[in-house]
Amino acid sequence: MASFIQLLVSGLATGAIYALIAVGFTLLWQTSQTINFAQGEFVMLPAFFVLAAMNAGAPFWLACLIGIALSIVILGVLFKLIIVDPMLKYGVLPLVISTIALSLFLKESAKDFYSSQAQPFPTLVPATDIHIFDAVISTQSLAVLAVAILTVVALNILLTKTRLGRQMQATAQNPTLARILGIPVQRMVLYTFLLNAVLVAIASILVSPIYLAKFTNGETLGMAAFIAAIIGGFNQVRGAILGGLILGVLDNLSAAYISSQYRGAFPLIILIAVILLRPQGLLGRVEERTV
Amino acid sequence: MTAVLQVSNLRKAFGGVVAVDGVSFEVHPGEILGIIGPNGSGKSTLFNCVLGQLQPSAGEIRIDGQVTTGARPCDLNRLGVSRTFQLLQVFPQLSVHDNLILAGQEHQGTMSSRLFGRTDAGLGDAAAQMIEFFRLSHLAEEQAGSLSYGQQKLLDAAMAFMAGPRLVLLDEPAGGVNLTMLGNLRERLQAYHAERKATFVVIEHQMEFVMALCTRVLVLAEGRLIAEGAPDEIRRNPIVIEAYLGH
Amino acid sequence: MTRLGTAVLVGATMAAIVAPFFLKPYGIFLISTWAVLTIAAIGLNLTLGYAGQISLAQGAFVGIGAYTVALLTPLGVPFFLAFLAAGLLCFAVGWGLGYPALRVQHHYLAFVTLAFTTLVFLVLRNEQWLTNGIYGITGTPRPSILGWSTSGARDFYFFCLGILAPLSLATWWMLRSPWGRAFVALRENPLRALSLGLDTRRYTLMAFAIGSSLGGLSGALYAPLVQFIEPNSFALGLSFNLLLMVIVGGAGNFFGPFVGALVAVLLPEWLRITQGYYLILYAAAIMVMMAFCPSGLLGLAERAIKSLNGRRAGATAAVRAEGAGP
Repeated sequence: MASFIQLLVSGLATGAIYALIAVGFTLLWQTSQTINFAQGEFVMLPAFFVLAAMNAGAPFWLACLIGIALSIVILGVLFKLIIVDPMLKYGVLPLVISTIALSLFLKESAKDFYSSQAQPFPTLVPATDIHIFDAVISTQSLAVLAVAILTVVALNILLTKTRLGRQMQATAQNPTLARILGIPVQRMVLYTFLLNAVLVAIASILVSPIYLAKFTNGETLGMAAFIAAIIGGFNQVRGAILGGLILGVLDNLSAAYISSQYRGAFPLIILIAVILLRPQGLLGRVEERTV
Repeated sequence: MTAVLQVSNLRKAFGGVVAVDGVSFEVHPGEILGIIGPNGSGKSTLFNCVLGQLQPSAGEIRIDGQVTTGARPCDLNRLGVSRTFQLLQVFPQLSVHDNLILAGQEHQGTMSSRLFGRTDAGLGDAAAQMIEFFRLSHLAEEQAGSLSYGQQKLLDAAMAFMAGPRLVLLDEPAGGVNLTMLGNLRERLQAYHAERKATFVVIEHQMEFVMALCTRVLVLAEGRLIAEGAPDEIRRNPIVIEAYLGH
Repeated sequence: MTRLGTAVLVGATMAAIVAPFFLKPYGIFLISTWAVLTIAAIGLNLTLGYAGQISLAQGAFVGIGAYTVALLTPLGVPFFLAFLAAGLLCFAVGWGLGYPALRVQHHYLAFVTLAFTTLVFLVLRNEQWLTNGIYGITGTPRPSILGWSTSGARDFYFFCLGILAPLSLATWWMLRSPWGRAFVALRENPLRALSLGLDTRRYTLMAFAIGSSLGGLSGALYAPLVQFIEPNSFALGLSFNLLLMVIVGGAGNFFGPFVGALVAVLLPEWLRITQGYYLILYAAAIMVMMAFCPSGLLGLAERAIKSLNGRRAGATAAVRAEGAGP
């Protein structure tokens, strides 16, 4: 029972990270029909920004801010202006292919311009264990959980309680209608990209102490984002959160109780099961075909 | 005689917005039924539900007595229902000739016979006849994308007729077409209708076109059927005038 | 086809036949790799260029084909049968994967194939009793056809050509049939195609299954070509590579895969001077290409030729347009 609670907590922590990545991914799709295949690499990269800033002498907290700022500029603004905007007139397919190429580009860049070795990454809080009901839970898991939950709550407040957030939601659900209502659609779309950049940067800072900063992180994290988004229902932000949490917990539990050789397979099997049994995901609605 | 198309209590809601609210009507064989109504009255939604493009929230659709609610557009097409589109939907990279072959090929044989059979699926003559009928012969080998707007409208209609459908739904066929071409189009539609005894349902905004072409007219407003009758009656119906003026 | 096109095709075919007599063994190995990978690229072109679906599993299907042959031929199964088995197995798997994934509107196939590639890699790596795991399988024999042994580099190259040719012809024939027209419709305007009675789901599934089986057939040749296969060769990298091949050559263009595979095989050699930065350059080049010319190198060539012809024919066309039309 104790180990189950441990697994549950650490699973929720990982799941919360997956949720952040999946939410950004879903938001991009909703507002601008962008399927960002490089989302995993987007999470891999900010950690390197932080490490580079620290190498230049910045303390950890400042380096994190710099990392987030760089992420906003590069993974938000530049991504939208240089890659997404020119592509959109060609349709979804060329854009997806561009992001596939982008994922390769970012991965190789990290490997060649920083290091091909896994880099240790500082934790948010000193790593100690606390005991709750016989279960040994690391403060790190709790810290990750706390930051991730705070981010999700803040995101929720932004999207539902602020005027800006509601405009973003409207743009996501029906851009034509939003335009008629006078909402600056293009600006809202830009904000979505910036928001995604922030989310992936936070996810990066949370996940890199555990996974270490490695240029290959993008593959697993990206896959987790896609699966979480699909489990939740491709078009739903709440679904992405739910999908991320479920994935994190199941992934952790399976690692403990199933052979470690097939560790990576479990999320993939979940994906295939969802596609087979309930393709619209848990919270999604069956999609209409429109003229 | 069973109605060609029977719509019963059709309802379609998008979240909180009810686009079609309990519409029922029948289309009799050989009719040209016009459906008019101000913007937002639900005409296109109605069409898309009948054609399998949208899933109705409630209600039933029958083609020749057979229940077809929620059927896929390709299955409906094989039952003899076809459509034209409001926004042009010819295949610009294919020639006019190829567009027509495409329009009919899925009705010829099975998938494997199509793989191993003739390149034109045996439709060469039928396509040539259709091109003749719509007076596009001089453009037969041109890429559809290079045709003028009016010519593409004719091609669109030709494609809809290629498989010899019993029921054709035309979605704003007059949209954006100049007067001369419009007369041409209407005349060809009437000729096809007379020759093949087909049944048409037409959504249209342009009154003259509807009045000249249709034998009976339905009026929709805010998702509901508000009037029905011969074109002249409808034109003078105060409820209809109110609905249009009110917008 | 235009006269220029026919001339280029004839020239290229002759070059392909004559090349091995002027190349050293490594060069012959490269062009054999080209021939083998072209088969996989033709398959992926069907899925991507004609049916408009992204498959990230083509590399996995090459792997399944390769392992099928590598495991069956030492047991005494004739190469021809193992070859067919590879193709049929991949067709079945493709159908099984595609059937549920293509029911949904979004590009779910992309994610499913991504997951599938990783799963295949894990199975190939972990099931050592079957696949010898990370140690791989060596020495897959090259077949003998009616007494002609293909063990030699040049002989095996001609054997590969001898398989590439009929497969290309079969694909060309399929694309000339009503199926080809259906694929164009499917790619250009699936909604319109549906309204014309075209079962888009069925055609897409068929394209994906056939494309996957071509991947398997490519793998069946790959094993005896390289004579050492291991799970890493068929991981995501190969699927990416094949995808980029199809894009660079020109997706939806019949000859695209041939050009794309050539570029992919030769590029690492040319970019060797960049000391391993070539992947970054390759990826960057793809992004640039997608922004300016998504129809690949052949698309670029077509546009260039059209603009050259256009200047000549412009006057004639203008005159024609004046007198024509209702």
